[in-house]
Amino acid sequence: MDPGFATLLRPFLKYAGAREITAESRLHELGLDSMQAIELLFAIEDGYGVTLPDDKLVDATFETAGGLWAEVAVLREPTDAP
Amino acid sequence: MTATAERLSIDDVVATVARGARDADEHAAFPVEALGALRASGLLGLVVPVEHGGGGGGLAEMADVTLRLAREDMSVAMVFSMHCQQALALVRHAGPRLRAEVLPALGRGELYLGSVTTERGKGGSLLVSESEVTADGGLLRVDRDAPIVTGGTHADAYLVTTLAPGATSPTQVSLVYATRDQVAVEVTGEWDPLGMRATCSAPMRLAGSVPEHQVVGEPGGFRDVVATLFGPAAHIGWAAAWLGAAAGALSRVVRLVRSPAGRRQFDTSSELLLTRLARIRARLDATHALLRHTTAVVTTAPDVTAPPVQLLVNALKVQASEQCFDAVHELIDLVGLRHGYLRASPLFLERTFRDLRSASVNYANDRLLLVDGSLALLDQEVRLA
Repeated sequence: MDPGFATLLRPFLKYAGAREITAESRLHELGLDSMQAIELLFAIEDGYGVTLPDDKLVDATFETAGGLWAEVAVLREPTDAP
Repeated sequence: MTATAERLSIDDVVATVARGARDADEHAAFPVEALGALRASGLLGLVVPVEHGGGGGGLAEMADVTLRLAREDMSVAMVFSMHCQQALALVRHAGPRLRAEVLPALGRGELYLGSVTTERGKGGSLLVSESEVTADGGLLRVDRDAPIVTGGTHADAYLVTTLAPGATSPTQVSLVYATRDQVAVEVTGEWDPLGMRATCSAPMRLAGSVPEHQVVGEPGGFRDVVATLFGPAAHIGWAAAWLGAAAGALSRVVRLVRSPAGRRQFDTSSELLLTRLARIRARLDATHALLRHTTAVVTTAPDVTAPPVQLLVNALKVQASEQCFDAVHELIDLVGLRHGYLRASPLFLERTFRDLRSASVNYANDRLLLVDGSLALLDQEVRLA
């Protein structure tokens, strides 16, 4: 997980307190709710220049910090296209 | 369902519900005889699988029965559909030991389940709790204050939301099954509302200890139960209750207008009457189509947490609450003061109107629309479910 990703997530996790955010951190438990999901997506788009496809926007994608990062990381990989 | 439907003798239940409805409303009293009939008919076991002695029904069958009951008494329909929602949670999420203990009696229709998910100070949010639970030698010590417990004084058992033991955030909520003899139940206030009076949803305090295997779903995992079952089942059950109430009202009005006495009073060639009837009927047909479609989508969707499915489930709640209330509102204009507004009118539009006024605030539409707006932004393609 990119070290900056935890920093990006923290404002959306109102119950995280001073706890470290790791790949295993469960986002809903730490306070991510459905109202904030769109704001988090905007932050990811602005921060990493990627757009998560609509069909990835299910609960499972947002379950853990590591799971969400994995989706972002796939989109960041350079493609062979010119 | 045909063989099962005969065994369940729903006509007898509906007749009992109809007999008690006015009294229950007047005194804000729980419809004890209606619950007795529901028990005797086996309908309380409707959604329990056949192998456990239940009716083998699902959300569609729950909606069918709720629609029938609501034509006579929307409170009873709400009590029934909320019981089914709890029963489905046990069927789908209880562990093997709890299933073995509970499902046979539930399947026989002997258990009426109360729901304890409201909590003071959390603004109606289902997914957070401030009620701590302590674990002690395999027992969970529950002490729970709830401002609204539908049918709470008549329930044989409860599904209660609490914090998971050792929870580190208020979103680690567990759903716990507690039988009446495991908890001390204290009614802490009164229930004297505008409508829905027979649901007898007084505030209560439940305190006691239950074995750890009575947690339904994963400890702290109530969110999954809500996302995959509780939310959709609640909206489908409520919508069925609201639609049944409005359909019963329209039916009574049409019968009046067509009766010999009614034909002397109402001009059935009046364009105002005909266009009003047409619009009211269309409200109900549109709601019915949405109810049936949503039920089918929820039953077959690979992932009900996908925004298009959640949006549909929430649209059903908001639309049904508005359309069914508006339909009865317009019926009162159509028949006028004597038939529409007087409490003693056999059409009981007045009671139905008061009951249906609860729909928009029974989990507030305003709150749901904020969620829906955010969900709509997540679906750029607009994949209509």
